[in-house]
Amino acid sequence: MIDIMFSSLFAMLSSPHIMGLMLLGVFLGLIVGVTPGIGGRLSIALAIPFVFGMDMVGGAVFLLTMHAVNGTSGQISSIMFGVPGDGDDAATVLDGYPMAKKGEAGRALGASITASGVGGIIGAIVFAIMIPIIEPVVLAFSPAEFFLLALLGITFIAFISGRGNIFKGIIVGFYGMILATVGMDPQTGTARFAGDYLFLWDGLSLVTAVLALFAVPEMIALGVKGGSIAAVSLEGTRYSYRQLLEGVMEVPRHWWLVVRTSIIGAVIGMIPGLGSSAASWFCYGHAVQTSKTPERFGKGAVEGVIAPETGSNSREGGSLLPTLFFGIPGSSGFAVLMGAFLILGIQPGPKMITEQLPLVWTLIWALVVGNLIAVIFLLFICRWVAMLTFINGAMIVPFIVVLVAVGSYINEGRWENLLILVGLSAIGYGLLRAGWPRAPFVIGLVLGGIAEKSLHTALALWGLDFFLRPLSLVLIGLIVATIGFAVYKSMRPSKALEESGVVP
Amino acid sequence: MKSSIMKYSNSFMTVVMLAVFVVLVGLASGYPPGARFMPFVIGIPAIALCLLQLALDARERRRGETEVSDTRSELEKVEEKVARVAGRRVDFQISHEFMQGVGPKFSPEEMVRRETVLWGYFVGFIAGIMVFGFWVAIPVFLVAFLRFQAKSSWLFALGLGMGASLLMYFGFARGLGVVLHTGFITDYVLDLLG
Repeated sequence: MIDIMFSSLFAMLSSPHIMGLMLLGVFLGLIVGVTPGIGGRLSIALAIPFVFGMDMVGGAVFLLTMHAVNGTSGQISSIMFGVPGDGDDAATVLDGYPMAKKGEAGRALGASITASGVGGIIGAIVFAIMIPIIEPVVLAFSPAEFFLLALLGITFIAFISGRGNIFKGIIVGFYGMILATVGMDPQTGTARFAGDYLFLWDGLSLVTAVLALFAVPEMIALGVKGGSIAAVSLEGTRYSYRQLLEGVMEVPRHWWLVVRTSIIGAVIGMIPGLGSSAASWFCYGHAVQTSKTPERFGKGAVEGVIAPETGSNSREGGSLLPTLFFGIPGSSGFAVLMGAFLILGIQPGPKMITEQLPLVWTLIWALVVGNLIAVIFLLFICRWVAMLTFINGAMIVPFIVVLVAVGSYINEGRWENLLILVGLSAIGYGLLRAGWPRAPFVIGLVLGGIAEKSLHTALALWGLDFFLRPLSLVLIGLIVATIGFAVYKSMRPSKALEESGVVP
Repeated sequence: MKSSIMKYSNSFMTVVMLAVFVVLVGLASGYPPGARFMPFVIGIPAIALCLLQLALDARERRRGETEVSDTRSELEKVEEKVARVAGRRVDFQISHEFMQGVGPKFSPEEMVRRETVLWGYFVGFIAGIMVFGFWVAIPVFLVAFLRFQAKSSWLFALGLGMGASLLMYFGFARGLGVVLHTGFITDYVLDLLG
């Protein structure tokens, strides 16, 4: 394993192609992280058409680094203007913005950017350490179990993104799965749901479907919202590089907190179902809990900036583990990333350990090197990157829509995909408007074909006894337990509501 | 008003999903056993889940006014979240307004109007691509959107729209050699013009 570990690093660093793609991924990831309306999921969805046909390693490194550094720049607007980029950055606002208001924006930024980078690196290390530990579990799965793993993946993502209603998420996941059956059936040669339309015989275009469900609805919503956040104060943008350096030095000064919150974040990332912002909130709470002076929190404590940022970014490394080895994404962003990986030909599961270990190590190194580059890059340019926050949302929309249309067309060169894009976008926008989750759709769509093949194989090998195999029973148990817990959680009013007397 | 729209759009989505699954399962029933197996395995439980969801939506609507809603502010929710992990409450300096998010709030009618306009632009753009091709539709769409929707000046809209279109043309068509759809009538018109 040691030789694979270092040969992967050497191969990556010595390849101008891969390093170029990584730099591009870091640059784009930082830009989209701070641009209003374009989150990690959307940026991956937009990039998919352009990595289509690219070599597996290059495409995966590009997408992963882009996704991983997204949160590093997202925190800038949280600190400078008190406007969180997404849910992950909300915890950083609590102490970051008060620091900026006290004239310590540079210190807060230096600390948060460095903490974020270090967190990302420690998260990748934790993932690397987990490989030999998780190996026997991963190898216990046969390809035949993939059907149940796909159902488990949909259940977890439905739980994370369902906002209290797991059934909506599962319905959306099944919608993706049933759309995956469109096209020629490999068993009987029947053209399913395709009629006489030849372009559907190869199945629905994954790229078009992902763009339609994510990119178009987000852009319509951004266009509807319009405007920029010009109303906020620019006071926080004034700082010196000396302040920034002071902030950088806060990270080694609080090294024990950084290590602890990084490990917490990575472990949370490994557990699908905890949600993407859980790591930053948990780490913030942990910093308050373990501080000797907890009364400083909420008023500009630097630990309140360091803890959520390390936790949030180390989660990326942790989330890679269930995504790559079990096909169960740890967050909705990873659901889209997994879809992109499958399009590139990366098949999650035991083969990642038996045949694709060099790729796994390349991705781990990509996280480490990508985060390092992002930190160095951002420390120099964060002042200017922050200005992107003020871009009027309505100005971004047409350019993204053009990219979406081009992306939808170029991967198969068929104009019919544009019609599919409009049709599926309407459903995607309906889901967004009604507050339904969309991430399970990607899991259903990308895993649908593999799940069907695996179900046929499993039934051919073991018949209906397949469902009684120990591993199958464990997976079925997990699915039932997740649904049961979600239903229990949605029926039970929150403790805070009880305490406040709203609920008797 | 907003919450009732939300509730009905919720049920509307459930009905849409139910219709999709019923149609697909119905179509699949005409396929050979091997081909209809997976659509049935997925579609039939999905229909059952949609019906369950409809029942849950109806129950939620019936509870309507007596329903206990969480009226706490975002900041109060954050305070609870942190207190749960830290075991103590933190006195945050940040104002309630910031945690609610910065941005305009629209009435439901205004939302629908804005959505219709945006969908008009999107569908119009796709129709433009199909009829006139990418290289005609892109600059027209960009300039029109920037001028009328983003309220930029003509000069800015034309400059940015045409500049971006040229950049894309040289990037995709010339640089990468990507051949994009030329439209159903553009080629015909160009042929007529000689």
